[in-house]
Amino acid sequence: MQFVQNFPFMSIILTLFSGPLSSILSGKKAKYLNLAVISIVGVMSAAVLAFTVSTGEPYVYMMGHFPAPWGNEIRVGVLEGLMAVFFCIIMLLSMLGGIKEREREIEESKQNLYYIMVNLLLSSLLALIYTNDLFTAYVFVEINTISACGLIMIRQNGRTFVAATRYMIMSLLGSGMLLMGICFLYGLTGHLLMSNIQEAVAALNQTGAYHLPLVISLGMISVGLAVKSALFPFHGWLPDAYGYSTVSSASILSSLVSKGYIFLLIKVMFRVFGFAVVWDSKVINVLFVFGISGMIIGSIDAIRSRNIRRMIAYSSVAQIGYIYMGFGLGSMEGFIASIFHVLSHAATKSLLFVSASGLTEASGNSAVFGELTGAGFRNKVAGVAFTVGSLSMVGLPAFSGFISKLLFAQAAAGHHDWKVLPTLIALAISTVLNTVYFLKTVIRIYTPVPKVECKKKDYVTITMRQQPVKFAALVCFIIINLILGLFSQPIVTLISDGLKMFA
Amino acid sequence: MDFSNLITNYEEAVAVILFGIGFSNLLLQKNLIKKIIGFNIMDTAMYMFLAFKGYISGRKAPIVVDGIQSMEAYINPIPSGLVLTGIVVSVSVTALMLSLTIRLYRRYHTLDLDEISTRLEKEGL
Amino acid sequence: MSLILLSVFLPTVSGILLVVSSFWEHLKAGTATEKRKKGILKRLHLYVGIILIFTALLALAAAWTGEREITLFYLMKDIPIYFKVDNLGRFFVTFVSIVWVLAGIYSFTYMKHEREEKRFFGCYLLVYGILIALDFSGNLVTFYLFYELMTLASVPLVMHSGMRESIMAGLKYLFYSMCGAYMGLFGIFFLYRYCDTLSFVEGGSLNAALVSGNEKLLMIAVFSMLIGFGAKAGMFPLHAWLPTAHPVAPSPASAVLSGVIVKSGVLAMIRVVFYVAGAEFVRGTWIQTAWMILSLITVFMGSMLAYREKVFKKRLAYSTVSQVSYILFGLSLLQPQAMTGALLHTVFHAFIKCGLFLTAGIFIFCCGKNRVEELKGIGRKMPKTLWCFTFASLALIGIPPASGFVSKWHLAQGALGAPVGILRYIGPAVLLVSALLTAGYLLPIVMNGFFPGTDFDEKKAGNAELKEAPAGMLIPLMILAGLSLLLGIFPSPLTEFVSRIAETLM
Repeated sequence: MQFVQNFPFMSIILTLFSGPLSSILSGKKAKYLNLAVISIVGVMSAAVLAFTVSTGEPYVYMMGHFPAPWGNEIRVGVLEGLMAVFFCIIMLLSMLGGIKEREREIEESKQNLYYIMVNLLLSSLLALIYTNDLFTAYVFVEINTISACGLIMIRQNGRTFVAATRYMIMSLLGSGMLLMGICFLYGLTGHLLMSNIQEAVAALNQTGAYHLPLVISLGMISVGLAVKSALFPFHGWLPDAYGYSTVSSASILSSLVSKGYIFLLIKVMFRVFGFAVVWDSKVINVLFVFGISGMIIGSIDAIRSRNIRRMIAYSSVAQIGYIYMGFGLGSMEGFIASIFHVLSHAATKSLLFVSASGLTEASGNSAVFGELTGAGFRNKVAGVAFTVGSLSMVGLPAFSGFISKLLFAQAAAGHHDWKVLPTLIALAISTVLNTVYFLKTVIRIYTPVPKVECKKKDYVTITMRQQPVKFAALVCFIIINLILGLFSQPIVTLISDGLKMFA
Repeated sequence: MDFSNLITNYEEAVAVILFGIGFSNLLLQKNLIKKIIGFNIMDTAMYMFLAFKGYISGRKAPIVVDGIQSMEAYINPIPSGLVLTGIVVSVSVTALMLSLTIRLYRRYHTLDLDEISTRLEKEGL
Repeated sequence: MSLILLSVFLPTVSGILLVVSSFWEHLKAGTATEKRKKGILKRLHLYVGIILIFTALLALAAAWTGEREITLFYLMKDIPIYFKVDNLGRFFVTFVSIVWVLAGIYSFTYMKHEREEKRFFGCYLLVYGILIALDFSGNLVTFYLFYELMTLASVPLVMHSGMRESIMAGLKYLFYSMCGAYMGLFGIFFLYRYCDTLSFVEGGSLNAALVSGNEKLLMIAVFSMLIGFGAKAGMFPLHAWLPTAHPVAPSPASAVLSGVIVKSGVLAMIRVVFYVAGAEFVRGTWIQTAWMILSLITVFMGSMLAYREKVFKKRLAYSTVSQVSYILFGLSLLQPQAMTGALLHTVFHAFIKCGLFLTAGIFIFCCGKNRVEELKGIGRKMPKTLWCFTFASLALIGIPPASGFVSKWHLAQGALGAPVGILRYIGPAVLLVSALLTAGYLLPIVMNGFFPGTDFDEKKAGNAELKEAPAGMLIPLMILAGLSLLLGIFPSPLTEFVSRIAETLM
């Protein structure tokens, strides 16, 4: 075994232990520890990715040298490595982009608590990505939920408490269903390791025994994870949670937390049940319908909201809908498109949140649209970044959003099924709706305001020198977006290789 | 339909019914405390389900007593382990929920989430 | 570096520089003195002028000196950003460049009474670069990319004044264009599946084996592309943005909007129907019929609305709606002669409509008149301007020997020769009625301008102080009016070139 193969396990443990360690550090030191840990994990994940790409096959890492049916396992392939690297990058940039806001919005004595939560969150995300054991996955799902709840309510106002409570309630419903599904599955197959379950499920499927319980458990797991990742109509908590928490939290929550659950769902579909069972079960049709409704209703809600943060949050609902729609197509291409969209949405949405916070900062900390007029002039980099993010959301070629739309459309058009037309029409409608609210905002932030009025309200001009870190983060986000948009082919190849390794 | 399976596997049936009761309480109750109680019922139902799955009638808990080491004498220990893990998770989540509830109650003197929301809307926060 | 890229990048980059520097200026507005401002303006005009002319030369050189193609990079495995010069591109680039340079020169004077000149010229150059790229695009995705960019870059031109009205108009324009573009994109998704390549191939590149069995779906796709790209060309039912956006934009902007940008919708339709789907695929299907009917409705409706409209620029905008649909009708017949007429009308209309809008601009600039009835007696004070307007109007109506006659002749001949049932007679009839209406809404302006009647009082109308328009505005206008007349008298080289394009496509 090579040393690199230890890295997944080491990165989980490292982040897990840096959590408690932060609790005895001061806020500032905890911050540096957190940044260092994320970077180290990012480098390690990159090494893992390079390793798996070079060997061309996944490997299994036994925990504590207990062999297959009894021990706990980590399984690493190209897709896992890619996700881990990407999550680390986005998380690092989101943390860097929100330093000022965190200092302002979080009480001094609670600064280090925030970093505990972030470290735990990263650890649980990595565990969700790497683990090959369903029950471990469940435990880390709960850790993920708890730390995400902490991220929401660390900024103390009434809205965030209500949002956190709602989030917890929805999440508990979701994880209850998830656990019940896992228990059913365990009862049916007698295994908790994904690869073993898959063998057992395949055997069951061949004999045709226990068909209904299998479908029920698949349904419970899918719906449970869908609830947790805020698929329409389970998104009631989302706008408050994303709209009023501190900006790093919002950006991490929208771009990573929900994606962790989605990744777990992909794993469950491919590696636990096997694609054939999932395809036969029709559960994905349900996901498809919800996904499509989410795409449209999320966008309509976004148009109706009067607050830029809430608007971006609602747009997340729509984007999650895209991802589930891709699952619903039930073809390999659909899954590739969905995974690409996971990446593209993560990059774009965190960019939007961070740049929106720059814009609101320049407008007297008000996120209401009326106050944002001309904000693009007051904070130039944030204005440009917001424009880039919007154009990507709108689906202009050369940005990442276009590629994911193209992939979705290709996946749909290659499909000879009733889903072709609904998919394409929903794509078109939702894109037009996206255009309406994003470009409306872009035009507003570039509408000049008379100088006199600027002084009357507490508008400030923010230059690059005042916040170099945030600007660097924004520039990196833009670059990632362009890379995804312009050089998508290698990434799509990686994803499809990774999915092949999955099964 | 044949309901005889339901009778023979009454443990699972009871667990699932309890799960349903807990689930609907968590979803539908207005009072936050009742919601938390519902959540605990739901989780307990699941532990019961797992525990029944691991039980083999006539056998003992997997603790070696009197030097009997044969596998045949003991029940399957893994579900019990899962139950333990699950309990830890549910305790921490319950604690978190309760602390949130306390916070909300101190601020708004009500346990009804919708009422708090409407009040927030009015405050224009 | 390749000439194509140079001609695209030069205006784009210098345009972006200008826009950025205008933002910069916006931050420290009010610091420059009046005299310094004048100096800055002079330098700005020099800079813009040099770049405009240089770009035009580069673009023409790229177009007319041999075959060129270049692949910039790959967006995905088989979707490159790819430029290729073909005859249609040459044709479009040439008239776009002429109109663009002339309107640019005109706006040096005109923009004096508007603010934020830097931003205007920045966007102006930017759109020019994008249009060149659009004309040279070698495949559908590249085309779509620049089509979207063109919309985004031209919105600031519409919203230039920053008034609430113009911002709403800009949003409307944006919304219509985006809706249209996405309908186009919707079709591209399908065509990508069923075509051998998305590159433009004369006669289309549909893969017959893949298509068989899916014709219905594909027809819906092609039709939605026609409707979608028709939004830019002002085709019914997505025509409503034109009369809103044109009047609020500065006149040179509405001139190029109407003369050139609208034509990119036409270009898009030609590319889709003749270069990707293939004329054979469309011929004789319900798409062709629907396309013809929609364009005829638009022709008639546009003229009617123009006839009723009293605001001068709005009247011209409605006229654009109607005239561009002449072109679309010509295309929809799928017949070489009609197509020749359509392409001819594309150029003629570009020159004529640009000229008409520039006249409207002169009236606004010199005497602030923007309603038709205010223009009474204007010919006495500004005869040259009104003469130019008269020539352009005659050309638009299609009175021989002015240029509009030639294109309309080909259109009518083509329609009569096309196997399209009853529509072959209805079509020319509608064209004729619409030409009469055109005369009805343009000629009274000329008549009243020159012969205001005996009871006309100059002082009351506020005409006493009026003088002829400044040379900087008059000369471009004269050139355009002259072109629209001359091309009608000597049409044969152009007609030959255009009919060659049409022949290869059928």
